[in-house]
Amino acid sequence: MSGPRRWLPWAVILPIVGLDLFICVRNPGDLDRLLINMILALSAFVTLHAKLLSLANAGFMAIGAYASAIISVKLGLPIAVSIPAAVLICAAVALVIGLPVLKLKDVYLAICTLGFGEMVRVLIILNPDLTGGSTGANLSTGFPYEAMKQTRTWMLALLLAFLAYLFWAIARSRIGRAFRALRENPQAAATMGIDIVAYRRFAFVLSAMIAGVAGAFYAHSVGSLDNGDFKFNRALDILSYAVLGGSGQWFGSILGGGFLTALPILLREVLGSSIGFLKNFAQLPNIINGLALLLVVIFLPGGLASVFTFRKKRRPGAAAAHAPPERGRPASGTPLLVLDEVSRHFGGLEALSKVGFQVEEGMICGLIGPNGAGKTTLINLVSGLFPPSSGRIVWLGREIQHRPAHRIARAGIARTFQNIQLFRDMTVLDNVIVGRHTHIRTSLLTTLLRLPREGREERSAQGEALALLERLGLAGLAEQQAGNLSYGDQRRVEIARALAQHPRLLLLDEPAAGMNEVETARLGEFILELKQHGTTLLIVEHHMDLIMKICDRIVVLNFGKKIAQGTPALVSRDDQVLEAYLGRD
Amino acid sequence: MDLSLLADPVFLLQNLVDGLSRGALYAVYAMGLTLIFGVLDIINLAHAATFMWCAITGWMVMAGLGLPLPAGLLAAMLAGACIALLLEYVAFRPLRREGSDRLSAMISSIGMSLILVSIAEAVFGVETRRFPSSVLSPRPFHLGGLNGVRISPAQILILAASVVLMGTMGYFIRRTRMGKAIRAIAADQKAARLLGIQVDRVIAVTFITAGALAGAAGILVGLLTNNIVPDMGGQIQLRGLAVVILGGMGNMEGAVLGGLILGVVETFSIAYLPGGSDLKDAIVFLILFLILFVRPNGIMGRKSGARA
Repeated sequence: MSGPRRWLPWAVILPIVGLDLFICVRNPGDLDRLLINMILALSAFVTLHAKLLSLANAGFMAIGAYASAIISVKLGLPIAVSIPAAVLICAAVALVIGLPVLKLKDVYLAICTLGFGEMVRVLIILNPDLTGGSTGANLSTGFPYEAMKQTRTWMLALLLAFLAYLFWAIARSRIGRAFRALRENPQAAATMGIDIVAYRRFAFVLSAMIAGVAGAFYAHSVGSLDNGDFKFNRALDILSYAVLGGSGQWFGSILGGGFLTALPILLREVLGSSIGFLKNFAQLPNIINGLALLLVVIFLPGGLASVFTFRKKRRPGAAAAHAPPERGRPASGTPLLVLDEVSRHFGGLEALSKVGFQVEEGMICGLIGPNGAGKTTLINLVSGLFPPSSGRIVWLGREIQHRPAHRIARAGIARTFQNIQLFRDMTVLDNVIVGRHTHIRTSLLTTLLRLPREGREERSAQGEALALLERLGLAGLAEQQAGNLSYGDQRRVEIARALAQHPRLLLLDEPAAGMNEVETARLGEFILELKQHGTTLLIVEHHMDLIMKICDRIVVLNFGKKIAQGTPALVSRDDQVLEAYLGRD
Repeated sequence: MDLSLLADPVFLLQNLVDGLSRGALYAVYAMGLTLIFGVLDIINLAHAATFMWCAITGWMVMAGLGLPLPAGLLAAMLAGACIALLLEYVAFRPLRREGSDRLSAMISSIGMSLILVSIAEAVFGVETRRFPSSVLSPRPFHLGGLNGVRISPAQILILAASVVLMGTMGYFIRRTRMGKAIRAIAADQKAARLLGIQVDRVIAVTFITAGALAGAAGILVGLLTNNIVPDMGGQIQLRGLAVVILGGMGNMEGAVLGGLILGVVETFSIAYLPGGSDLKDAIVFLILFLILFVRPNGIMGRKSGARA
């Protein structure tokens, strides 16, 4: 981003938020609203960041508000009990709702969460004894309302500060890295051992809890509740805060929420006196929100945060010490992977039919065949991207054909993709560190408490990633954005990323595609070196020289069927193979 | 449930008539929504705002200028076409160029929706507007004596207009050159472009068609409920989405069938369940959730398998 454009948005936004703070101080109600909306913005950020277009925030805000209000008014409990209870209720509801809802794809998820929000309102209206029904609940009775006024704003500010810390800490941890990976390429993230469903569920529940706590404070700040406060429009407001802020960086949302709350107040306070109709222009906030959504999506897709990117400073060096663990020469002949009558069809098309072979520990197995023979389908089946239609895939004696991709990755199978699937907007180094995901054991608590363990693990992961890059001749590119690399370099990054997983079996899908002869030969040597270190490989490749030179066994597929198997010498003399490749006269 | 009501054939027929006319409206509205989804793979969340503006335009033409019903209907459909075209140019086309994802298109349509509704509220206020009775008599016809089934002129108009619109749409999509181009783009935009179809022009026509359908739905809903307010889109927004999902995203016949089913189910639940009018929203969502979980691709939706 060029010089002036970097600071221009900030020159516009910061004064407005600052001026607004100044005005708000005179009116504590406005200040509370500003803080609550910033918190709500974070709740929408969490789901957007995980690539979930959820419109459930208004619903969770309503649950938080009503739950806290009912507990404190009807049960007479202090807010120190009612607010945490409300948050827990939101978490529980999100967990239950999330089970089915998060399986849905983007559009369906949006519609379903929108329906959920309306459902909450319907339930509020249908239970007038508890909630005041359509007329609303009055909280001022039996509630130490006045006494709280002083402390409320401080509590909100503290809460926002805590959330900011939480997001800052998560963003720089392995959890944040996993979120960035899955938002860029969920499929590749899964093959790194990242449990996408669990991460999305975590995001959904966290978002619900944040919306809930905002709702609870909202309830105690306005003093009476009306279900109309939580209509679809509220969901849209919250969404626009986070969209304006950008779904990439958490601090953008806080500013987005602050800006969109502040702007209408400011316009009314500052310009309202001179331009008469602004004073009573109730629709102004909505029009501003609408414009913000439209303009940001079209002109600034990364939101406010994208103008303000930090380059993470890393401690350089510390690379050499880490080499993949020596497994030692394994007892060759132990079957590692066994395919038994594996079939897969897409609609009427039989991509694989009753293919069976096995890969023993320590060998390099080649998988060849003409285009459309089913090679990539087979790799996808083994790595768990989809299950076979029938047949068994056995890994170390256990059937794995119905395991999801992330569990297969954790069991020790890594892969590269024929059509490169890097996390394009992340650096080369970060791409490789994602490969270490399952080996870094830092928990959320460790991250939050900033225990030394986290730094230690991060440094060792980084050191190993750098060592891998060095071995693949990519050391100079570590801080480059992966998407900007040349084709051949991207392939090598993928291999480095897969090796970072310390796989027992490495699946390479056309690793030499796009490489010239010299590069291909070097790749061949590298693969043999991997074998020496005890990694077993299954390689799909069209470069016959390479395959013939390095493979211990070759399996030949044609039209989804295995037509030959054996040593390179044997396969290259096979009649059926020659026919498949050269055709019959 | 009141069992004695079940045995009453007149009551049953009455609800069937009410349900079908309500459902026909949902169907007309959802046809436009599903048409755009079929072609662009995005949900146009500003469809409801278009619908509302059309109802207001129709009201202005008929109540304000005193023009007759056909002029109002035409004006509403024209307004719908114009607004939808505006949406295409402002909210959707810029995003197609950038090659951004579907979330962005949904978000920009949400932005347009907010703006359109807010402008309507700012200009017209939030109070209800009604048609003068000279436009369409509110007095119902009675079939089978005074205690028989009542059907209002608005309902007759709705049923007739929706049959005409469905027939026209069917012909347009299946038989005309433009309809074939629309289906080609829905199937594969890239291939259609390579075959020389002017994709942007065809998409513009799609939006015009969808807008006109929203316009017809707007004026007809206005006539049926006689209640024109800037937030009238909210009710039909969710129902339209439910219908589109019920019928399978992008499926025209499905939208018609889904609309009729939802209309009848909603009317019957109001009539036969105690406290039904409070529950009707809940029932709509319950149907929506059930369909999404049992058949995520809708009743008539195509099943998409994972491909390598």
